[in-house]
Amino acid sequence: MTDIEVKNLSRTYEYYRKQQGLLGSFKSLFHREKLYAEAVKNISFSIESGELIGFLGPNGAGKTTTLKMLSGILHPTNGEVKVLGHIPSQREKIYQKQFALVMGQKNQLIQDLPAIETFVVNKEIYEIPDKEFQENLEELVNLFDIKNILDIQVRKLSLGQRMKCELVAALLHKPKVLFLDEPTIGLDVVAQKNIRDFIKKYNREKKTTIILTSHYMEDIKELCQRVIIINLGKIIYDGKLDDLIKKYAPHKLLKVVFNGNGVRREEVEKFGEIDEFNPYVCTFKTNRSEAKNTAVALLSSNLPVDDIIIDEVDIDDVVRKIFTSQS
Amino acid sequence: MIYLIHRMKKFLTIVKAFWQRALTYRFTVLVYRIGEIGETLVLILMWSAIYGGQKNIGGLTLQEMITYILIGNFFNAIIRNFLSSVIARDIKDGRLSMFLIKPMGYFSYILSQEIGRISLATMMSVLSSTLVIIFFINTFIWDFDVTYLLVILAMVILAFIAELLLSYLIGLIAFWTDEVDGLYATIDRIKKFFSGGYFPLNLLPIAFVQVSFALPFAYSFFVPAQLYLKKVDLSTGLKGLLIQIIWILVLYGIIKIVWNRGLKRYEGVGI
Repeated sequence: MTDIEVKNLSRTYEYYRKQQGLLGSFKSLFHREKLYAEAVKNISFSIESGELIGFLGPNGAGKTTTLKMLSGILHPTNGEVKVLGHIPSQREKIYQKQFALVMGQKNQLIQDLPAIETFVVNKEIYEIPDKEFQENLEELVNLFDIKNILDIQVRKLSLGQRMKCELVAALLHKPKVLFLDEPTIGLDVVAQKNIRDFIKKYNREKKTTIILTSHYMEDIKELCQRVIIINLGKIIYDGKLDDLIKKYAPHKLLKVVFNGNGVRREEVEKFGEIDEFNPYVCTFKTNRSEAKNTAVALLSSNLPVDDIIIDEVDIDDVVRKIFTSQS
Repeated sequence: MIYLIHRMKKFLTIVKAFWQRALTYRFTVLVYRIGEIGETLVLILMWSAIYGGQKNIGGLTLQEMITYILIGNFFNAIIRNFLSSVIARDIKDGRLSMFLIKPMGYFSYILSQEIGRISLATMMSVLSSTLVIIFFINTFIWDFDVTYLLVILAMVILAFIAELLLSYLIGLIAFWTDEVDGLYATIDRIKKFFSGGYFPLNLLPIAFVQVSFALPFAYSFFVPAQLYLKKVDLSTGLKGLLIQIIWILVLYGIIKIVWNRGLKRYEGVGI
């Protein structure tokens, strides 16, 4: 079943340019130069029920704008969006009760009260029956192990604790579709891993459809099989993460360690394109099909080879390459 | 019926949550009262000095003037709210987004929140105003005419609603301007002037009084205070209620339009 259907979606923002300085501010009181920015340009994709999709792209690529249109905060300038058969911008209650949006940089928790109070308010807003609420709350609280912070003012919690509470607040009504906009932003590695593990488990157990945006490749690598890469408002890749590497990185990295006195550059140049070189460690870029042959050739030569590692190009590098080649 | 009970429950839960918030900041709530009491006392002191030996200014004796100030401020403590800045901030910071995705209207949510937020402050205000009245127990004119009190009660409730809607409307201007502090401050002063909060409106030329009777502001201070003093008759009071209801409907209509247009502009801040 298709949960999310996006067709030729575009969104344009209006903004103004202000000249630098005080004089510019005065001028802009009377006349402002109006500009338009196309944050999302004619994108289309569809997502099946239960999928966990990674939404990748640099700052300002249009990720959040797309999520906002999927959750009905923004009206599309052009194109169509359908989530669970509803048009989000109509803001039907029946749709709103079936999805949740968590933004790493915006919070829904009432800052001056303990998180439990927001949970209770959400229970009423989403009209969750008492029994269901108790069960969900208990389950989520145990999963995150946050029983002991429920009665502490949200302002006093650490960022990681707060994020856990944000997720609980968003999941109490058991959404079928979940939008996570940089849920791990600003968190330390341990907290990041906690959140990541939770998302993985939740997606697996509840079959919730999840779209995740993140700047941390770790999140994407760990969680998503399929990624949609968006840059300058356009989708530039939509497919499996593994295929992405094959498509954009047609070569593998062959790392050769030498012992003894090492080698000279001229001695190894004939084996392939050198990526990095020092007398003891040399990395070659080779075609996928030729990696093995190159390794054999190296081993059978009389160079003092100690070890050979054949590795994929790092996904971070692939993505960075895509982004830079685009802009 | 069940629908109504559900709605009430939502409303009460939010009110309760923000009651708790207000209790967290009891220091603020308490300290505000000092300023309020001070202001009332200064007004009384000022008018006592102005009267000097005079018996009557603008149809009021000094005793009536002091009663006017005390009872007017008592009503005002019940009526006012601080909604505009809350809404403007939600819009400016993009927090409105978090409400737009919830199966509850922002209007209902924010009104419940504001009632929860201010109800404690209001009670404290009413308490402190009552204390000041008791302090002036010998000067204060006591009058318990039930019909008048009922009209006053209705007027205060309607004034509360009208002011809530007005603040909401001012807050929504942030869709276009991001900030509304200046607008709020200006309207607040106009409001206080036309409400008779600085001085009784009948000290001014009759044209002013007539204009202010057509505006909603006089019904938050001047008219209920004058009713209490029986300086205006019941029919004026009843006519006032009608004018208030018209204002409430007009404000509600404008809010609907402004909200819909504003939302189209709303960009949720940040791409």
